[in-house]
Amino acid sequence: MRLDEILRSVDTLPAMGGAALQVLALIEDSRASASQIEAALRQDPGITGNLLRLANSAYFGIPARIGSVRQAVSLLGLRRVTQMVVAACAAAVLQRPVEGYDLPAGELWRHSLAVSVAAEGLVGEIGIGAGEEIFTAALLHDVGKVVLGRFVREELARIEAALARGLTFEQAETAALGVDHASVGAELLSRWAIPADIVFAVRWHHDPDRAPASHPMLDVVHVANVLCRMIGIGLGREGLQTEPSISVSRRLGVGTGHLERVASRTLQWANDLAQALAA
Amino acid sequence: MHLTVTVGDMKTGAAGDHIVTHALGSCLGLVVYDPVLKIGGLLHAMLPLSSINPEKAQANPAMFVDTGVPLLFRTLYEQGALKSRLQVKAAGCGAPMGRNEVFKIGERNYTVLKKLLWKNNILLAAEDVGGNHSRTLHFDLETGEVVVAGNGGRRPL
Ligand SMILES: [Fe+2]
Ligand SMILES: [Fe+2]
Repeated sequence: MRLDEILRSVDTLPAMGGAALQVLALIEDSRASASQIEAALRQDPGITGNLLRLANSAYFGIPARIGSVRQAVSLLGLRRVTQMVVAACAAAVLQRPVEGYDLPAGELWRHSLAVSVAAEGLVGEIGIGAGEEIFTAALLHDVGKVVLGRFVREELARIEAALARGLTFEQAETAALGVDHASVGAELLSRWAIPADIVFAVRWHHDPDRAPASHPMLDVVHVANVLCRMIGIGLGREGLQTEPSISVSRRLGVGTGHLERVASRTLQWANDLAQALAA
Repeated sequence: MHLTVTVGDMKTGAAGDHIVTHALGSCLGLVVYDPVLKIGGLLHAMLPLSSINPEKAQANPAMFVDTGVPLLFRTLYEQGALKSRLQVKAAGCGAPMGRNEVFKIGERNYTVLKKLLWKNNILLAAEDVGGNHSRTLHFDLETGEVVVAGNGGRRPL
């Protein structure tokens, strides 16, 4: 097993910048203000630029052109803006090509955005509360792939052998490497001081039936992720070798019609958001 | 020319063209070819029925099987293709693992396709559908040859 080596390499991943960490800390602070966010972002014009590009994408439906952080906060609200800051920071990591999973540059980013949009779509479609940070949980759900990809590539023969025995891709990761990308992602995010319910959803996104508790945020991310892969966004080498939980779809009361309605809207929003930060 | 069809898209071409579509999961990949005129097209439809989002279907009929398939045939007929000559091949319509009935969009895509073809007396010349791996389709309009890549291999369809 290469668990130690894998966990050590988590540390080699560039941490998010100081601005991101400060803003992340503000997520959990209900009294955070626009000026605090502005102050944190002032150190990092790159993140600010990305934030504004995302905020101006059609998904958020603001007809006016947003030109400043202050304006973004007043038009989109503080919560949305902090989510956009996390997205703007995570983009640098998620836009890279991911070896092992066969995801070309930009594809994990597009997949992550698609799962965020689909998750919010499902919440609206089913009419449940899944926590306000569902966008961020969905956006970060596969971040572990960035670390695990190299090991997946190196142990591909063992992973393929496990898949041939009928395991899901993430079970095959565990069989070959001692850990899957969901656990690695959760480990990474806990080092980035990401709120606990987000880390929880990331940790169990492929295996909600084995999670120590059920949580609507986890359930929605689980379903949205499978849906986005079904419609071809971020399939890569994993394909559809994952198993959607029956207890989760029952718990959510989600039907095929809900999935299809959400799918019909997801692609365009995801492409739109992905293009906002395309080089 | 080298053409790429994205999800919810359709492209037609003629001899000399090569049409590709990637990442077929539950989506339907449909290839139609007239070997005499050497023209054809490839559709990558995401969902079975346009009634789920009529507005989308209006703007983008190729997203749905029930609007995309007729559109592909109509486009080729307008270019002179003859129904009696058409070679029709289908791929994709996969599903995730397990027995969750809610996620059977691929199967629904296939069912709607079969109904449409049956109503119009058209037979599938070949198909590679179902399963849980990702597929890429390569369509050579000089020869009409279709190759399915995925699951670690490539094979003619
Ligand atoms: Fe995943
Ligand atoms: Fe994913």
